[in-house]
Amino acid sequence: MKRLQGLPTFQELVSLAVRIITSRTFLEIVVFPGLLNILLSAALLTWLERKVIARVQLRIGPLYAGMWGILQPIADGVKLMFKEMIFPELADAKLLMLCALSLMLIAAAPVVAIPFGDGLVIANMDIGLIYVFAVISLFPSVILLIGWGSNSKFSFLGGLRSLFQQVSYEIPMWLSVLGIVMLTGTLNLSQIVKAQQNVWFALPQVLGFVVFFTAVLAELERIPFDLPEAETELVMGWMTELSGVAFMLGFLAMYTKLYLMSALITTLFLGGWLGPFTVPQPVWFVLKTFVVASIIVIIRGSFPRVRVDLLLKAGWTRLLLLALANIFVTVVLILLGLDWVWRV
Amino acid sequence: MPDIAFLALSGLVIASAIFALEAKELIYGAVGLAFSLIGVAGLFVLLGAEYLAMFQVAVYVGAVVVLILFTIMLVQRESGRIVEEEEPGRLGRAGVLVAGLVALAVAGAVIILAPVSPEAPESYRVPLRELGVSLASSYAVALVILGLLIGATVLGGLTLAKIDREEKPSGTAQ
Repeated sequence: MKRLQGLPTFQELVSLAVRIITSRTFLEIVVFPGLLNILLSAALLTWLERKVIARVQLRIGPLYAGMWGILQPIADGVKLMFKEMIFPELADAKLLMLCALSLMLIAAAPVVAIPFGDGLVIANMDIGLIYVFAVISLFPSVILLIGWGSNSKFSFLGGLRSLFQQVSYEIPMWLSVLGIVMLTGTLNLSQIVKAQQNVWFALPQVLGFVVFFTAVLAELERIPFDLPEAETELVMGWMTELSGVAFMLGFLAMYTKLYLMSALITTLFLGGWLGPFTVPQPVWFVLKTFVVASIIVIIRGSFPRVRVDLLLKAGWTRLLLLALANIFVTVVLILLGLDWVWRV
Repeated sequence: MPDIAFLALSGLVIASAIFALEAKELIYGAVGLAFSLIGVAGLFVLLGAEYLAMFQVAVYVGAVVVLILFTIMLVQRESGRIVEEEEPGRLGRAGVLVAGLVALAVAGAVIILAPVSPEAPESYRVPLRELGVSLASSYAVALVILGLLIGATVLGGLTLAKIDREEKPSGTAQ
């Protein structure tokens, strides 16, 4: 209330601005674990994917923009930004723009809770794990809305398939991390990483790891689960009618989601920022994240697409069963008194 | 700071709730409902109930809104504009006027009487661990009954799906 009595002078405002910009929280939000990092990593992942897929298929991939074509994503981004946005006459352009925008926001929001180093996290929440899953569960409705708003059969079919797939794979995904929560007794992602000081969770939770990885592939709509945008049947799935900036947002959101999911796998199962040598913690984290993302990309290069009935069958019977078996194994571990290794 | 957040969130909740009710197209109504529910989750966070807020987002926005959207899309097949505009009569207008006045009076009373910022007292901020322990000990019976209820619902859904499948003519299966 003090400020109301006299207006702040220009110098006060400038010093306040400088203090805000140089503060740790601001830098964390805008530069490192936050915005800049997310956007650059997502752009880099598009390049990585094209390059890796090209190598798998004995091609060279992007080559001319910068060294090894590393500036290709920037060129693509500029191109898409200047392209005309074309919406079909009966499509709902406003809804499409809103959805594309919120898709990007939803993809970027969970990074807030992911620790890139000891204490290097924007919001160190006690319920970080639930927060991440809660935000991820917003994807299907937005994608369904894009599919409906495009007023095109390809988009709508893609949106419906995406909805079925994501909703049914969310259940094994939630269940597969339950073992970790039981072993550590916490939902805080930083604590979960610290609990892996001795043994990474990929080892005692190997069933959960397999289930989580598979569910992540389905959530990301990537081969072998890329039914929502099966090119041979649905053109580009729910993204068919997006163009220009709206397409860029949707596309970038999917790569941000890839980055986010890789980071989540790293945090939960691969020891997060922990590593053997005296390398800075964020370097370890980003390195592991990109290795996981590369594996997901290589899977895209080497597997065919599954049939839709097999997809749903695998999700509702096999994965669910494996996730429950994982919980059972964890209970046995706890009953044998082996959980002291990870207890925080 | 909580004041600004509270006012902004309340504005979001009320505005999107009105939008959800007034939208001509049902899909927009569902979108408005989603925003309104997200705003309510934000209010829960301000009140120190983060756990509740997360499940508000996951269950209501992530699942219930999807269900509503899906229902709308299944029911309205041809064009989105089925709701026809109806001119309210003289009595209707009077009713709207009275309702608006009452709402204004209630809002005024609430604003004058209640403090703007609903900061939760420290004693209300329950740690998640305590919540889990009490859920598994003193409220264990309720938890089990809820689990049974959900199990029964799933079984009912499966039975309905199975009846549908059996009624199909044999040639079209798969």
